[in-house]
Amino acid sequence: MVDKAAPLRDELLAALDASDAIILDLSLVEDIDLACLQVLYAAARSASARAKRLRFQGTVPARVAKRLAASGLSRGSSDRAEDLEASLVDFTA
Amino acid sequence: MLDKFKATFREEALELLSQLEDTLLELESQPLNGELINAAFRAIHTIKGSSSMFGYDSVSKFTHEVETVLDKCRNGELPITKDFIGLTLKARDHIRILLDREGPPEPPIAEEGESLLQRFRDFAQGGPGPRPAKAGRGAEGAGGGSPSAAPAADAEAESATYRVVLKPKPEIFRNGTRVLNLVQELAELGQAGVFPHTESIPPLEELDPERCYCSWDVLLTTDKGTNAIRDVFIFVDDLVELGIEPVAEQLAAEGGRRLGEILVERGAVSAEDLRQALGSQKRLGEVLVEKNIVSRPQVESALVEQEHLKKVQERAETSVGSIRVASDKLDALVDLVGELVTLQARLSRTSFDLKDGPLSSIAEQYERLISQLRDNTMSIRMLPIGSTFNKFRRVVRDLSLELGKEAELLTEGAETELDKTVIEKLGDPLVHIIRNSLDHGIELPAKREAAGKPRAGHILLAARHSGAYVLIQVSDDGKGLDRDAILAKAIERGIVSPGQDLSDAEAYQLIFAPGFSTAKVVTQVSGRGVGMDVVKREIDSLGGSVQLASEAGKGMTVTLKIPLTLAIIEGLLVRIDKEFYVVPLSSVDGCIEIPKEELAAKGERKIISYRDELVPYVDLRTFFESGGEEPSIQQIVIAAAQDSRVGFIVDQVVGDYQTVIKPLGRMYKDVEGVSGATILGDGRVALILDVNRLAQVVQREGLRRNSAAGA
Repeated sequence: MVDKAAPLRDELLAALDASDAIILDLSLVEDIDLACLQVLYAAARSASARAKRLRFQGTVPARVAKRLAASGLSRGSSDRAEDLEASLVDFTA
Repeated sequence: MLDKFKATFREEALELLSQLEDTLLELESQPLNGELINAAFRAIHTIKGSSSMFGYDSVSKFTHEVETVLDKCRNGELPITKDFIGLTLKARDHIRILLDREGPPEPPIAEEGESLLQRFRDFAQGGPGPRPAKAGRGAEGAGGGSPSAAPAADAEAESATYRVVLKPKPEIFRNGTRVLNLVQELAELGQAGVFPHTESIPPLEELDPERCYCSWDVLLTTDKGTNAIRDVFIFVDDLVELGIEPVAEQLAAEGGRRLGEILVERGAVSAEDLRQALGSQKRLGEVLVEKNIVSRPQVESALVEQEHLKKVQERAETSVGSIRVASDKLDALVDLVGELVTLQARLSRTSFDLKDGPLSSIAEQYERLISQLRDNTMSIRMLPIGSTFNKFRRVVRDLSLELGKEAELLTEGAETELDKTVIEKLGDPLVHIIRNSLDHGIELPAKREAAGKPRAGHILLAARHSGAYVLIQVSDDGKGLDRDAILAKAIERGIVSPGQDLSDAEAYQLIFAPGFSTAKVVTQVSGRGVGMDVVKREIDSLGGSVQLASEAGKGMTVTLKIPLTLAIIEGLLVRIDKEFYVVPLSSVDGCIEIPKEELAAKGERKIISYRDELVPYVDLRTFFESGGEEPSIQQIVIAAAQDSRVGFIVDQVVGDYQTVIKPLGRMYKDVEGVSGATILGDGRVALILDVNRLAQVVQREGLRRNSAAGA
């Protein structure tokens, strides 16, 4: 997981440079840990600083949703990735 | 680098093993204590986790199976029996052996480990768990308890609310720790309100993907207690800062302040807003109220709560108050301080000779600082003697099993502090004494019952301070020393001649003679004639003394008197002719002046009256064969020896003096009355008087004179 954080960061950074909106499909995410989640947070921050958009789509797998809810990071209960954006604590500026 | 980690791991693992031993022994006497079984489990759990992290696979494999069984005991599925404790103690010893070698163990050791594990498996099978008990060893386990005998702590624990402040260190990702799992695990301990702090995550450009930017505040209501909370972070102990604070009482007492928490919880105010506001309280209040987000009282209570939170965090930070230092670094520090003390003496001396005002005021301040530095340094080396006590408990347990006796070790004064090196050197002598008590003192259970004593014997190990000394007593309630047997043995060994008339104390001292043992059968333990003489020698080498007291049928007491430290002492500097001597200040009682003529008048009867007591004295000028003319008024320094007082006649009492003790070396080991030397401010050497030995010399001479007078 941790070793995926660095490539994820590089990929998102490249994507931010290349386009105005990034859409991430979360359906196939098996699990998530803090290292990668931090990258997503950081990406959201960069995106809003550059007036670009970062969006989620797909269905949030139950395991990921549960993990995020249990660690207090997500306040929502919907499994729609679009809702996750809003329910992640401090995610959107 | 890795070697360094490995060394730390080993050090910590050894420490854990010694704690484990202690815990298991306690558990043996209180098998229903849930705290203890939890502690044992945690120790094994941590060893397992860290050993696999550092590649000690044999250790982690072995501990894994032990842990499984311990976990069952912890859950009340298996009873905690004496056999189980014995088995786990053996497993502990085995882990110790495994830790000493890296890589796979040699076949005999591996076999032993396997047979231990097999016994663990048998035990797990035999317990009255949910599985049907198998025949065979089943009966052994079934006697102890039932599934309902769950750890008492769980049953009795009440639900409590804790504020858990969790701050992972930035580097926590490096070893693959999954932080969210941990937080989830924590939250699942009970009802939890989890508040993440993500505000320090930077934008992507600045993000270090291997760094952790988040922290959590968790309000957790659980019935599992703080240990369960700590257990969650057991593997990453040094990678998180963890603050746990019960909040139930505060909620009850200060109900209103809870508002602040709610404020943050509802997302009305972020913790970051509050933190900023702490710097400019007025502004935050205004801003928030202006924006109509919250009302004024809400802000106020939030501030109070936030401040409280800050304090909690600070406390969590300061609780990391101790560090690990290699002991040779401490030794080097003490050496350096010793040199400084010597140099300071020279400075004081020089400034005194020069009669330079400013310089002597500096010298005085310097002296004060140095003496503080010395005291601090010495106190760093002080350890509570209790740290060695668990070793003795194990000795008593194993040995009494071996000898078929029942005995219990009680301890007192475990907090008594002693110099590290002294404690290290005390280990072996104390083991000898305790073994001796068990082997020779405590009788077999049947014999004890016949004598009207409880079946189990007691050995009391007690330590306490007495001035610059520590008294360590080992007493047992056994049969006491057998004076006649000792004498008979001593005569047989040719240590005393048959007709010799000895007092009780003198007879008892015989057991310290080399090669002396009264055990009729040579046991594995004692009876080989090594033991008490070694004790005596080692205690002597520490500058201490050994005393014996015994009452037939009631037991005996061995008292060790050990100086607190071996390195630096306060001394009283005295002068005879041109020579200087140091009397340890701790033994000085007082000083009196006496005219030369009065002394001369006493002639051979060298006794003076001091505080209504007759005190024998020794003229150090004669004793050390110094030359020079006696002054017209001489000084007598009265010192307290082991059990009597003794006076030393000197020319002049110079004053108190911080003495760095230097050993005299082999050449001088037979010099009587001197225990060491020190270097004075002007570079000269002063001898340190051995008060106990001198007192013995005086007593001996007194006896000789008396018998000569009587003849």
